Amino acid sequence: MIMKLTINGEKKEVVSESMTVKELLAQQGVEMPGMVSVQINGDFLERDAFDSRIVKEGDEIDFLYFMGGGGSA
Amino acid sequence: MKGFTTKALHTRYPKKDVHGALRPPLYDSVAFEFESAERIQEAFEGKLPAHTYSRISNPTVEDFETKIRVLTGSRGVIALSSGMAAITNVMLALCSAGSNIVSSRHLFGNTISLFEKTLGDWGLEVRYADMNNPGSIESRIDEETRVLYLETITNPQLEVADISVVSACAERAGIPLVLDGTLTTPYLFSSRDYGVAVEVVSTTKYVSGGATGVGGIIIDNGLFDWSRSSKISPLTGQYGQFAFLAKLRREVFRNSGSCMAPHHAWMNTLGLETLALRIQKSCDNAMEIARFLAGQEKIRGVNYPGLPTSQSHAVAARQFNGRFGGLVAFELEDREQCFRFIDSLGIIRNATNLNDNKSLIIHPASTIFSEYSVQERRDMGIADNMLRLSVGIEELEDLTDDIKNGIESI
Repeated sequence: MIMKLTINGEKKEVVSESMTVKELLAQQGVEMPGMVSVQINGDFLERDAFDSRIVKEGDEIDFLYFMGGGGSA
Repeated sequence: MKGFTTKALHTRYPKKDVHGALRPPLYDSVAFEFESAERIQEAFEGKLPAHTYSRISNPTVEDFETKIRVLTGSRGVIALSSGMAAITNVMLALCSAGSNIVSSRHLFGNTISLFEKTLGDWGLEVRYADMNNPGSIESRIDEETRVLYLETITNPQLEVADISVVSACAERAGIPLVLDGTLTTPYLFSSRDYGVAVEVVSTTKYVSGGATGVGGIIIDNGLFDWSRSSKISPLTGQYGQFAFLAKLRREVFRNSGSCMAPHHAWMNTLGLETLALRIQKSCDNAMEIARFLAGQEKIRGVNYPGLPTSQSHAVAARQFNGRFGGLVAFELEDREQCFRFIDSLGIIRNATNLNDNKSLIIHPASTIFSEYSVQERRDMGIADNMLRLSVGIEELEDLTDDIKNGIESI
């Protein structure tokens, strides 16, 4: 199954039956995943939901970094 | 890792050093270069884990912030140019013209000046309450109150409020409790365990490792629901519970140019490694010196939370893990005697810092609080015959011998 997503403003197609945000971070090779914050469709996603939130067709996903000691979500 | 010092020593920098340096190097660089215009755009948008400009973030400062975050179990930390910059940034982020804060009246002199004069000119009202009396606190809170503020140990009155009681007042009112933990540091007092929303610390004091550089930190303990703060709530949709940190990092801290210098951050990180050892020695010395002073006929009164005669003794013993800080206040006959005492000392230095490795003494009324009238000083608990001694880590006998010289001079 191919899912169309917008990741950091860029249209992408992801091949997966079902994928969590945590799995998406790994698949996309996101740098320093322990430091990244995630917004989906403009809403902040708490870190403890990374491995339960399933990515859906059409989601707009942003990976953001707060550089500094406040950087780890 | 469980221990404070173990964490201070072994919390790793998030990026591996190219040379495998055991101690992260000092990145004393203002700007950071990018391989393409697209990459620097991504960094500016926060979509790349990279530093751009050291007024906003810097690898060495980040290392210090990260260690504090791990030591405190907090949501995030921002390091600043001074403790006063930390307080100022918190107030600018949370308050606005027409709002008010409720605070202890017994505060560091420059903090009072910041609240009443600097921020007062911009329309902030400060309402003083008795932090040992929940009724006094709650009677001053209204719908325009943005912050409840106090210090762990007031300086130089050395009073200690029951912080769990104060934080309960803040919780009931739906406002953040902001606490200045400079005199205790996260080693003596875990503000997160007592419901404190935000802790500010002047790292210039104990943390820096011996007054090596002026600095401060803001710690967001991750306890307060920022959707309850009128100035922060608009950001919670985008940043969730990181909204307060985002308000600072992406606006107030960035725009006010309050950054900690990388060199100071490097020294502060080094200071963290010995913080526990130095605080233990300082507190042990202070306890013995307070007992010594209390036994001297010429000393009119001694104030130290570690003495059973202190009204704060019981609550301090409970909150600060059996230690009571490195400050001792004591009273002589009058100002002239205080000056003679100071001038007779040989080891203890006459300087306006505290929690240095060196013992320091000062006459607060004629220095830190000199901008206030006699009546105002009286209201603040600053007596004209009081000395403040910041006890360092020297051998105890040298300090008591020096104090004996001071006593003989009066």
